[in-house]
Amino acid sequence: MRDKELELWRLIVFGAIGLVGFIGLWELVVRLGFIDPFFLPAPSQVVQRMQQLAVGPDAVLWRDIRVSAIRVLTGFFLSILVGVPCGLIMGVNPVIRAALNPIISIIRPLPALSWIPLSMLWLGIDEQQKYAIVFMGCFASVLVYTTDATMGVDPTLTLAARNLGATRMQVLRYVVLPGALPNILSGLKVVLAIAWTCVISAEMVGANSGLGFRIWTAKEWSDTGQVLVGMLSISLTVLLLDILFRGVERLLVPWRKGGSAA
Amino acid sequence: MSDVMIRAENVSMTFRTRTGELGAVEDFSLQVDRGEVVCIVGASGCGKSTLLNMVAGFLRPTAGRILLEGKEITAVEPRCGMIFQNYALFPWMTVRGNVAFGPRLRGLSKKECNRKAQHWIERVGLQGFEQAYPGELSGGMQQRVALCRALANEPEVLLCDEPFAALDAMTRQIMQQELLRIVQDSAKTVLFITHSIDEALILSDRLVVMSARPGRVKAVYNNDLPRPRKLDVQLTDRFLKLKRQVWDLVQEEVMGAMVLPVNTT
Repeated sequence: MRDKELELWRLIVFGAIGLVGFIGLWELVVRLGFIDPFFLPAPSQVVQRMQQLAVGPDAVLWRDIRVSAIRVLTGFFLSILVGVPCGLIMGVNPVIRAALNPIISIIRPLPALSWIPLSMLWLGIDEQQKYAIVFMGCFASVLVYTTDATMGVDPTLTLAARNLGATRMQVLRYVVLPGALPNILSGLKVVLAIAWTCVISAEMVGANSGLGFRIWTAKEWSDTGQVLVGMLSISLTVLLLDILFRGVERLLVPWRKGGSAA
Repeated sequence: MSDVMIRAENVSMTFRTRTGELGAVEDFSLQVDRGEVVCIVGASGCGKSTLLNMVAGFLRPTAGRILLEGKEITAVEPRCGMIFQNYALFPWMTVRGNVAFGPRLRGLSKKECNRKAQHWIERVGLQGFEQAYPGELSGGMQQRVALCRALANEPEVLLCDEPFAALDAMTRQIMQQELLRIVQDSAKTVLFITHSIDEALILSDRLVVMSARPGRVKAVYNNDLPRPRKLDVQLTDRFLKLKRQVWDLVQEEVMGAMVLPVNTT
């Protein structure tokens, strides 16, 4: 049983109090000299630095966000394109599942970072290499989430469809896919966050653009303000994408208004 | 003339489990004529659902065979429309989508599918709910949709696997009335599984009592309650007399089943 949920306006008010309190405290400890702004600039300084990076003649922030987002989304969609169909097939076919499971168990625990040396050797430091890192970091998770979601589809629904005359392909298309979709989408939401960690790592190691690169170069120049601007930009972009994703989810899963599990 | 629709010949079904072999149905023979409503009554775990799953073609018997219109059932059989206890509606489809699913699979035009769906939706009084999702409906309404969905696919036989067991007593009576009306109108062949003797007597032309597992035919009653029937048939003396007869027999089997380890069918 979940604890009682607060009403919306209370959620917003308490959330705002928490956030403002946190930022205020941070500002205060830096202003009062407890922390050297070289190590941790105050929120006001971060905002100032963000302004410099976001507007003006040499504004790089928007370009960095765009570049990183494109890398994330490309790798993410590639992993969906390959992972979801494979996961569906693994979910419905126990033989294929048994054959592929060991391979996936080996690939899945590898952090995206560990693919960087090989991918650089194979693909250099072009965009393809970034896509490959994101893909490798996401693919196994997409596969596992899709397989689990597929196996979680009520088998009675498959029987019902077969009973109404559906072929195996029709069952896959009209029953298994929509039946697994809600759980696939929840899985993809987690994977999207993973994709961001992949791209930031890849950009820190070998890139000349993107948020990861911006943070890393800022550190080289001891520009902690820029480091924090980069980190904040990642948070905000991920939040924004998450909101967009929820919209897509609502569009694709209109029968789940309450969002409860079946 | 009697025209045989379903014929089960010495059907047995044995499941392999961790603890050994489990006989669910043993040497079961039954003949159902076209247009006949046969109810199979038995205690939980007597193999009656297994039997129905074999007629639907979901399971193959380990011995014996089941014929539909003289031909052995060897694959999932769309001519036998199944109504499941838990409705088994597609939650991502609207009421209309669910009902039109069978016709759609057969490649009928969208217009034709919707026309067929609408016909059955109105027949069971679901008009106004065409665009609702199953999750928004009550249990009784969901089972109406399931009934609709099966009928819109124009099956020769309706297979009902305790379809009203999950409904409350009132809704259940209404649904029995509904099914009685539809079956009497359409002269469909029905194989109906239940553990309720009342339900079996209300609906059936013939009533088969199954023994405790492994399920066999324990007794067959011709239900001579007059047709067309309405629900008030259950208040007649003849009904009560039949019920008494069946009850005595079933009670024996229930007692027998209770000492066996409880297992799901």
